[in-house]
Amino acid sequence: MLEIKSLCIKQTNQALISVLNVQIAQGEVLTLMGASGSGKSTVLHWMIGALDPVFTATGELKLNGKRVDQIPTEQRRIGILFQDDLLFAHLSVGQNLAFALPSEIKGKSHRRQVIEEQLAQIGLLGFYDRDPATLSGGQRARVSVLRTLLAQPQALLLDEPFGKLDAVLREQFRAFVFERVKALAIPTLLVTHDIADIPPQGRVLQIEDFQHA
Amino acid sequence: MMVARWASKGSTLLAIGLVSVVFLPVLPGLVRMGFDFFQISHWLAIWQDTQTIPALMATLGSTLISGVLALALSLSIAIEKYPSNAWRSIVKRLPILLAMPHAAFAIGFAFLFAPAGWLARAIAPLMAWHSPPDWLTVQDPYGLSLGVALAIKESFFLLWVMMNLLGERHIAQQITVARSLGYQRQQIWRSIILPQILPRMMWPFAAVLAYSLSVVDMALILGPTTPPTFAVLAWQWLSDPYPQLQAQGGVAALILLMALLIFGGLLRGVAWVYQRSTVDFDGVRLPNRVSIMSWLYQLGAGISFSLMILILIWSLAQSWFFPALWPDELSVKAWLNADFTPFKTSLWLGLATSLIALVMVLIWLEWGPQRNNAWLYAPLILPVIPLSAAQYFALLYLHLDGTVIGLIWSHLLWVLPYVLLSLVGAYRQFDPRLMLTAQALGYPRWQACLCIKWPLLMRQILSAFALGFAVSIAQYLPTLFAGAGRFSTVTTEAIALSSGGNRRIMAIQAVLLMLLPMLAFALAAIVSHWQAKHRRGLR
Repeated sequence: MLEIKSLCIKQTNQALISVLNVQIAQGEVLTLMGASGSGKSTVLHWMIGALDPVFTATGELKLNGKRVDQIPTEQRRIGILFQDDLLFAHLSVGQNLAFALPSEIKGKSHRRQVIEEQLAQIGLLGFYDRDPATLSGGQRARVSVLRTLLAQPQALLLDEPFGKLDAVLREQFRAFVFERVKALAIPTLLVTHDIADIPPQGRVLQIEDFQHA
Repeated sequence: MMVARWASKGSTLLAIGLVSVVFLPVLPGLVRMGFDFFQISHWLAIWQDTQTIPALMATLGSTLISGVLALALSLSIAIEKYPSNAWRSIVKRLPILLAMPHAAFAIGFAFLFAPAGWLARAIAPLMAWHSPPDWLTVQDPYGLSLGVALAIKESFFLLWVMMNLLGERHIAQQITVARSLGYQRQQIWRSIILPQILPRMMWPFAAVLAYSLSVVDMALILGPTTPPTFAVLAWQWLSDPYPQLQAQGGVAALILLMALLIFGGLLRGVAWVYQRSTVDFDGVRLPNRVSIMSWLYQLGAGISFSLMILILIWSLAQSWFFPALWPDELSVKAWLNADFTPFKTSLWLGLATSLIALVMVLIWLEWGPQRNNAWLYAPLILPVIPLSAAQYFALLYLHLDGTVIGLIWSHLLWVLPYVLLSLVGAYRQFDPRLMLTAQALGYPRWQACLCIKWPLLMRQILSAFALGFAVSIAQYLPTLFAGAGRFSTVTTEAIALSSGGNRRIMAIQAVLLMLLPMLAFALAAIVSHWQAKHRRGLR
């Protein structure tokens, strides 16, 4: 369970977000809607531990009962996906994934085998040594999701991850992401301005509801 | 959170501490010179020295020529050729022209224009000369040849600055729009483009003025001799064992700083008038005028390339008497007996200095303060003599003069700002989401830097490293002062040899001096090309 308790974000005494309370259950995808520039990405940045210093935030973030808003990003075990795939250009597809794979999975050949299997599952069999720059947009997007999930996050943040794909691809990719998230049964927060992104029967919050002055 | 905050505070303090070590020890020496500055006796001594006035005239004259001509050359070629294929081939040749150290440039310039130089040999048959003509080309008392040489060399730097400014804005589209409105190139530049880019060129131009004001290495080769330029005079006083003369030299160094401030004030005034005068449009479309300046730039670039070849030929010339156009015999014999000690000293000194500077700059960029960093660039726009003298004062106090540590430290004051300048743009533009992604995958910041950020920035890091190396190689005054005469680099050796008679041996040192920065840049390019060979995203 991912829980935001009485979150307030201010920018020099001007309230951006006031008193946001949210609980997201295991396997649930909650959608936070708002126009661009409305501050929804700021909430995500606070959750991941990268709030711009011009803002000040009060409130608590709890993941599975443990408070995580005071520990550094790398210890929170919260995964994040952005609009761009952000694959590391100096690494191969497989090395990008190996960077995410936990150290508990040991042995060079074993780690490679795990990654090759995962690549096969997303339809990219034999892509381990490929240069990410040579992949199509849809393939890169899938590798990016896989990279985030391989780190075994306990919660997931999606920052308009479908925004840059074209219409047909977007439909497929959305289904792909939601299916994977469901399989992992982790709480997920989706931030978007597009109603079409909301998963079926998903709960929706409007950011305006937390922005009264 | 507390631990993280302390760790981040600690890293910031480390960054500030490291950089302070480079900068702070310079201050006491500057303060001491400041005290001397207000003692009337030093001023009297300087005034009464008969060398002062001609030296000052030569310095101010060569600085003016250098600044105005360099700006005119680089601006006119940009106006004439940007944007076009010719422009692209012009800027493609810039790196090699920039990489050539000033001292080597001066030596080559003398090889070409001196009375016994190649130019005189070329016209000797026409004039029926059998001995070198009685020319006043190099080392003329007015500093003209020094000014022209500086102007040519600095025009490449200013053009390089312009190239970067033109690239980052939509200047090419603006030119197209203005042309479709019926204006011609020169008027478009005067009224649309220059008002946008000139304010951004103020600091680089100030750097050119500061350099020309206080240049010593080039002035020793091309400047007047009795009396020398004011910068050389200040340096001679500063290196005198007699304390009274040392203090006088410090005051002279500050006079150079004052001259820079006056130039800067004048510059602001001119810029202000210019900005006021360009915004008043009467709609008259003016035709282009014939520009010989852009042709002169091409001539300057051509001369610079031929200097490099001329130096190389001299290093291989067995004997080459006036008025022969070509040496009687080429031989590598002088190379086999050449002294490579200065080369080795330059190599380790440059590597150590640029490596230390790079580490400091990376730590500074990642953990240092993000704002108010402009003071770090101060050494680039200040005359080198007062800074170098202040460094020497600190080293004497700490008994570190003539040591390796002192020498490396003295170079850092110039190497560090250049490395920072070359890296800061790319570093600040780096997508912060890439770092965030790496951290969200479970890696602490320093590890994310090592595995992701720095490898992704490898091309820029390598070229910053090469630039730092080139800056260290070219240092003259800091090497003399901090090294206390115990270390000779290719720069100091080439200049020491320039007063002697053996051109071949001097040419060998000059070739090595040219070679080192070019090797560094070439190596940086090769390594980043190799790294990007299988990764298209890095190109």
